[in-house]
Amino acid sequence: MLAVDARDLSKTFRAGWLHRRRTEALRGVSLQVPRGAIFGLLGPNGAGKTTLLSILATLLLPDSGSATVLGLDVVRDSLALRRRLNMASGNASFVWSLRPGEVLMFYGRLYGLSGRSLRRRVEELIEGCELTSHRRTEYNELSTGLKQRLAFAKALLNDPEVLFLDEPTLGLDPDMSIRIRAQIARLRRDRGTTIILTTHYMREAEELCDEIAFIKGGRILAQGGPDALKRQIRLGEVITLRLDPLEPAGLASLPGVLEYRIRDEHLECTVDVADKRLPELLRWLHEQGVVVRQCEVREPDLEEVFVELNR
Amino acid sequence: MSSTASPALHVNGLRAEWVRTWAFACRNVIMARRNVFFVFELTFWPGVAMLSHGLLTQFLALTPEMTAFILSGTVALSAVQVCQLDVAYAVLFDIWSKSMKHQFLAPVGIRHLALGSWLVGVARGLVVFALMAFIGTRAFGFDFLGGGAGSLAAFLAGCFLCALVIGLLVCTLVLLFGTRAETSAWAAVNLVVMLAGIYYPISVLPGWVAAISAAIPLTYFLDAFRAGYGFESQFSAPLIKGFALALLYVALAHWALAAAITRARRTGLLLKLSE
Repeated sequence: MLAVDARDLSKTFRAGWLHRRRTEALRGVSLQVPRGAIFGLLGPNGAGKTTLLSILATLLLPDSGSATVLGLDVVRDSLALRRRLNMASGNASFVWSLRPGEVLMFYGRLYGLSGRSLRRRVEELIEGCELTSHRRTEYNELSTGLKQRLAFAKALLNDPEVLFLDEPTLGLDPDMSIRIRAQIARLRRDRGTTIILTTHYMREAEELCDEIAFIKGGRILAQGGPDALKRQIRLGEVITLRLDPLEPAGLASLPGVLEYRIRDEHLECTVDVADKRLPELLRWLHEQGVVVRQCEVREPDLEEVFVELNR
Repeated sequence: MSSTASPALHVNGLRAEWVRTWAFACRNVIMARRNVFFVFELTFWPGVAMLSHGLLTQFLALTPEMTAFILSGTVALSAVQVCQLDVAYAVLFDIWSKSMKHQFLAPVGIRHLALGSWLVGVARGLVVFALMAFIGTRAFGFDFLGGGAGSLAAFLAGCFLCALVIGLLVCTLVLLFGTRAETSAWAAVNLVVMLAGIYYPISVLPGWVAAISAAIPLTYFLDAFRAGYGFESQFSAPLIKGFALALLYVALAHWALAAAITRARRTGLLLKLSE
């Protein structure tokens, strides 16, 4: 069953009165996300990630195409849909002079919570997001990390079935990022929440996401699981060698060698299939009289996939 | 960080409508309590207006009736200003704090934000009125009940309905033009009360301006209130016309704000106001 089903979404922003500037943010994006999945949207700045997320969260109307979230149309059924989704962003902001509890009470009421159930929910979230010792601090005096925790707490107020996270760990210290990531994983495990997140951190996407879509220039360039994506992009595998001498002549002309480079006194040789090419390579190095001091085979990481797609 | 998820107990129906409305009222109350600027809105400017206009009526040696004519305009301006600001704050708070998208991500309607913030506006407007009535009575002998309690109640109700319309229009302008339009929160009411005959009967205005004045409900509420002090009414059944016009404008302003929000969702202004 699909949590999100978007078909051919397009969105162009127009600015200026006389000489209107047009920015095509989305160009026919289609996307399917199964229920209970954690789905990552990766891409460079201005790729259209936030635009896509905002359309799915009913904050923005598409120019063309259609999208349903939990079976509800994001344009026609937006009010009913808003009860069942929520969103947090890395650069969230709330009314400056409200305190964390007051922010949560305000939005809790907007989601229809009241009385004891509202107070209980707010207390749970304040404790769960470790805001207890800051409950008397006004929003504008909170640190970036605390503001983000509050944004995350607000996004959980209505126990959403679909949660949109726009760069949830942006600007956080590593410790807090790890805890936010753990909370995201726990939400899916305990509540079955479908989570769609954008991020610039490849490690975060690789750790959390079942599926990833690379978006650039308003188009999805590739989509799949982290491992499948690496295969799909055909980046090959990397054989890292410590050699003496460091760079033997004629390496690039060997069959199956896609490219090589020197990094930190190691030679990184990208080949099509490591299982097949490694014995050939070692044999050739032996014939050339090159001493092999260290050898390691690894798959390319998601960052390399990203760089490749971004070229 | 521990797991925080637990089943939320949402209320439905009329109770949910009230809860969402109450959210906006509570937020306005907290902001009003915490910000010294709001105390100025509530006491300083209305107090200064009543004192300066009252002193002017004494300097000009106006009759008690003429004093009532002038000071009723002073009260109308302050009460409408304070009340409409509260309605406008429902959007302005989010503009200033760049948190607009969170509000419209939630399942709320315009009726919630309008009614919730208006209720606080009415309460603050009544405080303003009480303060001005106290100063007016004690310092200048202006009897606010001179036209009867019913006349005063209708006048205040009319002022607060006009404030709701102006506040909704300010919200609409802000959602159409962004932060450039936020000054309308202070400017719009002055234009309206000027056209409504704040310190003068609209018969002194040029014909075409008077025609515009006749389309403003506050004109009728001022006219009806002043009739209680012996001034001849310029309209037949001014209260009925005033309330009918005010209710029509509330509906139109509601529709205009809904259209502005839809446009802001289409153009992306809603997101831009949150960045």
